[in-house]
Amino acid sequence: MSSTSASIPVESFEKRVSDLPHQGTSKLSPEEQVARAKAVIVSKLDSRSAMELETCIHCGMCSEACHFYEATQDAKYTPIHKVHLVRSVYRRELSPLRWFNRLFIREITAEELSEWQELLFNSCTECGRCDLICPMGIQITSGIRLGRQALAAADLMPPELRALNDEQTRENTLLGVGTDELHEAVRELDSQGIVVPLDRPKADVMLLTTVSDLLLYRQSFAAIARILDKLGLAWTIRSEAFEASNFGLLSGSEDSQMLMAKRVTDAARACGAKLVIVPECGHAYPALRFNAAEQLDQPLPFEVMAISEFLGREIKAGRLKVKKLDGSKKVTYHDPCKLGRHGGVFEEPRDALGALGIDLHEMESHGTTQYCCGGGGGVMMLAASEELRRRTFDIKMRQVEDSGADSVVTSCDTCRMTFERGAKLVNWNRPVESLAELVAANLAD
Amino acid sequence: MKAMTLLDLVRGPLFFWALMIMIAGILWRLSGLIFFRLQSRAAKPKDDAPIVAGLRTVALRSVPPHELEKNITFQHFTGYAWHIGWFATFLFLGAHLSLIKSILGFAWPALPNGVIMVLAAMTLGILLTLWIRRWYNPVLRLISNFDDHLSVVLTILPLFTGITAFTHWAPFGTRYETMLAIHILSVELLMVWMPFGKIFHVVTSLIVRFRTGAAFSRRGVKA
Repeated sequence: MSSTSASIPVESFEKRVSDLPHQGTSKLSPEEQVARAKAVIVSKLDSRSAMELETCIHCGMCSEACHFYEATQDAKYTPIHKVHLVRSVYRRELSPLRWFNRLFIREITAEELSEWQELLFNSCTECGRCDLICPMGIQITSGIRLGRQALAAADLMPPELRALNDEQTRENTLLGVGTDELHEAVRELDSQGIVVPLDRPKADVMLLTTVSDLLLYRQSFAAIARILDKLGLAWTIRSEAFEASNFGLLSGSEDSQMLMAKRVTDAARACGAKLVIVPECGHAYPALRFNAAEQLDQPLPFEVMAISEFLGREIKAGRLKVKKLDGSKKVTYHDPCKLGRHGGVFEEPRDALGALGIDLHEMESHGTTQYCCGGGGGVMMLAASEELRRRTFDIKMRQVEDSGADSVVTSCDTCRMTFERGAKLVNWNRPVESLAELVAANLAD
Repeated sequence: MKAMTLLDLVRGPLFFWALMIMIAGILWRLSGLIFFRLQSRAAKPKDDAPIVAGLRTVALRSVPPHELEKNITFQHFTGYAWHIGWFATFLFLGAHLSLIKSILGFAWPALPNGVIMVLAAMTLGILLTLWIRRWYNPVLRLISNFDDHLSVVLTILPLFTGITAFTHWAPFGTRYETMLAIHILSVELLMVWMPFGKIFHVVTSLIVRFRTGAAFSRRGVKA
């Protein structure tokens, strides 16, 4: 299933994650924390979010869409409750009725900010399922993201995400994986006859990869390289900007998020790429496809595609030929939230599976309403979320079993790791496969 | 000169000021929201028909996907039922239509009084049930605030006072004219509160749905 390269003398991915700090305290005073959190909300909240916050009727229906609420029946996990701090600041400081609201709504406190860390980070994967059920049409996830940014400014992001964000911002590495490890991986693939054109000065396509692909799912990296080679594209991967993950986004640090996006966009510009392919990494896709342009406030001069989207397009267009299997392989497809609800990638992976002759068994909730694996939005990295992840995994496991599929295919490393961890905990025997690996294993001659 | 009765007061100056406060409040709150800063839309959209997508969400958000619907069936249908009952009572009671005709110069056919009374009683019952639920359901209790409770009370009062006035029920020997005045006063309270509380969602909910549908479509998602 997964493969950690034996040629790299590194500790396992899991070990590196477990070595991340699990505790930490802010150096800011309570007053500074409140002031910084408020400043972020006041400066970033936009018209759409403002109208949404004014429109909530407190019906609580969003709780029924949240896997954390469903798994625990604990009211505090109600999605709109998680936005309470953002809403309080908005209503006191920004609302057209702020002079009236101040009579009833008190200032937020540093204690509340600390308390909300659990709600905004540890128990929300930003999956966006709640956005689909709200009868008012409120995009609760936008409020969650703003809340995360406010907590990050108050130096209250979870220690694991802070460590990864700091490392990626300062060192341009993640879990110690940087240019050297990339080069080592490229050499290893080269020894297997898989060519990875590294640092080409000019290329039509620029591929990104991830720390998890380099440490844990090397076969996924190899699969994508084989596919691009098969297509005969002029592609490259750049040493200075190969990492697709964006821990600025996950930790709520907007400056870091922009820096990480800029590294990639600068590298793509430098090599003249017309297309940037995001590997099997869910959050990296909307971070680059949509957020980067919005943050830089200018359209990107290249196209951005998730690998699953790219595979579906190339197969459907007839440019990528795959072998048709005999139809006996019963598979269900898990839509990564960030590719699906946040990125509209639903049909392309199914097109690819269809071309492979896979017997696709959809889960009851799939596509726009699929359940999150429980590890998205950085939650997979958090030790404090382990029990919640286990409980929400039960929901996903039931959905898979009820579908009648023998295995799960997905196109996101985080989802895959969350599935594998969950399966290991409960001795569940359904394998989880990578779409890219499945396609690469069945390329037509 | 004849002294102004309570009924004259609520029908005249109080109604005028309630209407003015309602209109000014709606315009103030709505314009403040519309002219708020906009988010960047620099990312190339996946769908180039956001208006169609927005309109689709306006319609479809009334019917959640089935696997989500099954968890909210009670709330969903009782929500529909009381809104329909409330507006049917407001718009199709003969007495209300006489008032509407005196203001607009035209009206539409009324429903039989008996039907309206059944609808009003049903609506009152549902609203009270949902209010009690708001106090006892852990999720609703956690997310509720003063506005939620005041808005329910102000929505119930016109129904309750309307039923008492219509049925000429006169507690403590109260005159019909007084009951009618109290009914109109309860409507005015609702009008005054409307721009300030959650009832304002009647103005913004369809706009929010539309914007959400359009925003999701830019990411290629049918929401």
